[in-house]
Order: sequence, then C-alpha cells, then structure tokens
Amino acid sequence: MTLNTKELIRYQRQMLINNWGEGGQEKLRSSTVFIAGAGGLGSPVAIYLTAAGIGQIRICDFGKPELSNLNRQILHAESDIEKNKALSARETLFNINPHVNVVPLTVKLTENTVDELVGESDIILDCLDNFDTRHILNQYAVQKKLPMVHAGIHGLSGQITFIHSPETPCLHCIFPGSTPNQIFPVAGVTPGVIGVLEALEAIKWILGIGVNLKGKLLTWDGELMEFCKIEIKKDPNCPVCG
Amino acid sequence: MSKPSSKPLTENEKIRYHRQMIFPGWGEKTQEKLKKSRVFVAGAGGLGSPVSLYLAVAGTGVIRICDFGEPELSNLNRQILHDDSRIGKNKALSAKETIERINPDVKVEPLKDKITRESVSFLVGEVDLIIDCLDNFDTRHILNRYAVQNSIPMIHAGVYGMQGQLTFIKTPETPCLWCINAGSPPPVVFPIVGATAGVMGCVQALEAIKYLSGIGSNLLGTLLIWDGTSMEFNHLPQKKTPDCPVCGDAL
Ligand SMILES: [Zn+2]
Ligand SMILES: [Zn+2]
Repeated sequence: MTLNTKELIRYQRQMLINNWGEGGQEKLRSSTVFIAGAGGLGSPVAIYLTAAGIGQIRICDFGKPELSNLNRQILHAESDIEKNKALSARETLFNINPHVNVVPLTVKLTENTVDELVGESDIILDCLDNFDTRHILNQYAVQKKLPMVHAGIHGLSGQITFIHSPETPCLHCIFPGSTPNQIFPVAGVTPGVIGVLEALEAIKWILGIGVNLKGKLLTWDGELMEFCKIEIKKDPNCPVCG
Repeated sequence: MSKPSSKPLTENEKIRYHRQMIFPGWGEKTQEKLKKSRVFVAGAGGLGSPVSLYLAVAGTGVIRICDFGEPELSNLNRQILHDDSRIGKNKALSAKETIERINPDVKVEPLKDKITRESVSFLVGEVDLIIDCLDNFDTRHILNRYAVQNSIPMIHAGVYGMQGQLTFIKTPETPCLWCINAGSPPPVVFPIVGATAGVMGCVQALEAIKYLSGIGSNLLGTLLIWDGTSMEFNHLPQKKTPDCPVCGDAL
C-alpha cells in the first residue's frame, strides 16, 4: 500500500534525505522492531522510531516505573507509576504517532519466552540494563541471524555496536561475562544520546542508508564529549557464534 | 518571572534524582545547583524537544522556552514535544504542557514571541545559559550578539539530514558564533530525520548540565562535527576572528 496524504506530509522532511524517499518510508512502515526494555535506553529508542514511522514496535518490559526511574525514562511520568512499563510506553507512543502499531509485552525475557516475545521482528534493539538477559537475547539473535543493536551506559558514558552474526562478532565475543547487577549512576541524557544513536542505526539498516557500526564498538565519554571507535574481532572459540 | 527555588531538595526529589546524584562529584549540592538554574531554550522544535525534555527530567529549576510558531503535521517526525492534538497551538505553550507532565517540579516559562533585535533582551531575561535550538542563522546571530554583549554562555547546535554540529560559546574565552559561521545561508526546507536532532539535542542538554553543575569539561572553542551515516564524530578546533564584528577586540 502506498503512503496516504497525511503520511506524505508527516514524513516529508525525512523523505528528502538521499536514498530515503517514499520507497524508504514504505520500507519503514512494513518493518517490525523488537525493543528489549522500556527504560532509559528504550525510551528514546521507541520515541524516535515511532516518530520516524516504523510499522510495528514490539516493546518488552515486565517492570513498573518507579520515581527513581523518572530522571531518565521519558516514556513514563509520575502518573504512570504502578502501571506496567510496556503498557505505559504504548500510551506515550500512541500520542506521538498514532500510525504506529505498538505491541506491549509485559513478560520477563527468558530463554523460554524469547522466541515468542521477539516474534517476527526484523531487528532487535538491546535496551537492557543487565548482561544475563542480554546474553539470552544475543544467543537468540545469533541463532536466527537477526541483527541486534547493542548499547550500554554508565554514569555519563556509553557504548554501542551493531551485531549481525556471522558477519560481525556477537555480544559474547565482545563481553563474555556478566557483571553483577548493581545500582549504577546514570543521568538521563546518557541513555538519551546512546538510545537515539541506536534508533538511527536501526533506521539506517532498514533503509540501507549509510554504514552501520558492524565490527566496531563506539565508546563515548560524555564528561569530555569524546567518541572513539574500537575495532572488535570474533572470538574463534566463542560458545555462541564460534 | 518565576524564581528558581533556593530550598533544599525535598524527599521526593532525593528519590527522583538519586541515580544521577550517585555520580561521582554530583550529590545533593550539585542537584541543588541545577534546581537554582535558569536556562533559555531558543526554539521548541527538533532540537528544543530533546533539550527541554532532558533538562526537565534532570531537575533544572526554570526553563524559559521560546517559539512563535505552531506545530505542523510535517514537524511531527522530529518535534517530540508536540503531537497531532497540539496542531494549531503555540509551540511554547505545547512544550509547557509536555514538560510539566514529565516533571511537575520544573517551572516552564513559555514565550510566544519571535526573537528579534528588539525582543531578545526581554525574551532571554536573566538566565545562566542560552541554548540555541534554532533553525536559521539570522535569528542565531541576534542571539549570539546578545550572548556576547551580556557574557551569557550559549550552546550552539545545527542539524541537516543525518549530520550535526555543536559547540559551547563563552566569549571572550571562546570564538563567538559569528567567528565560526559568519553570515546566513538562505533559509531552505532541508532534509531532517528526528533522530539527528535527537542526538544533537541530547548532547546539548548534557553540555548544559555539565556547565550548570561544574562536572566535566565543555566543548569550548571546539566544534563537534557528527556524520550519522558513518557515525563519525570529530572535534575541530575553532579560532577567534580578530576583527570579528561581534566579539572582536576593536569593540
Ligand atoms: Zn560470538
Ligand atoms: Zn566573534
């Protein structure tokens, strides 16, 4: 189906980008993304993918917004405390762009649920806050050959890479272990910067515009505003993608 | 004009800002500094949206946000302060609604006038920092001149397509905007995706928070150039123009 008049106006400014056009916008509209986590990273990722006119967003979070989340999780407000985060996300996203089909998933992501949760998604966005769940998602992405944008944050720093096995190293090649879960410092703008970069990497991949961060880890130190690209290699003995 | 609160943090605020206050060097004192701060956000569009939202969730005391326009359907791919229901309202008023919902502790002063040579002084008022979220250089140069004359630091950002640039202006220490980008290219309808303004706007918000809180270092005399298609970030050192008509020695 071609874009209707409203969509042509709404997305006019981005369709002016080289190699985007109506064809690109239709590609976005026929795409499904899986967003793992509706927190600090998931908020800007979901908001900017929604504004861009992605067809379907599957957003997954089993938690509820707490007051101490609200310095960074801009999908949620004080009135959303006690709701499920994925459901709260759907309300916010519907206001931002009613054309987007948001599927809220309120179940915890585990080895048993991952297949059903990700469903027919074209790309996975890792907006998680712990490596145990990330490794479950990574294993699934490698098995299904699905691309996955990984991001992580701490304080005023962050990192992001584009994983698409077997072309690139997988998450286990880069970060083989799991760090113990703990309360770490974070300001809202940190996941803001890194989350919006994740959204842009997904848009570029869907549209085939530009070059993704494949085999490269972008690290960012917000205190000094320094960005650095590090080459990353496959681990030949990787238990996930080796 | 609302005054930023000089009261200590409430119990609610201590919980809300807990995760950023545990950042080394932040703590309650820095959070109180943010609470006492006033910023001027010029433009409630693609850049002004993430800037004001992230300054709000961080607990900035007063946000003066200025825009004379109204949201249009073709803005909504990037201007996340607004939605379909706000079309036809003033952007600054629409911004106030969204920001106060996201953090009712923050005071928002909406300004519905166009920034001109005549109105700039009244609009900016007494602020600690100016954030340039504009889309044209004519107005930017009016704001730049005002910032230089009144020694108010200004964070400049500009976006185009999947590219952006950003610098922290604080004369006489740094070059001014005229030193970096003299003149004004003719205004045109340029390509832009929301995420481009999102990245640059978040970086602007962080530069603002660092300045207001005294944490880290700012992009002083350095232009950050970003190409989103290749994800390349570069720092370009900037020099003052000795005979700059805005910040030059002859004045
Ligand atoms: Zn691997
Ligand atoms: Zn100058």
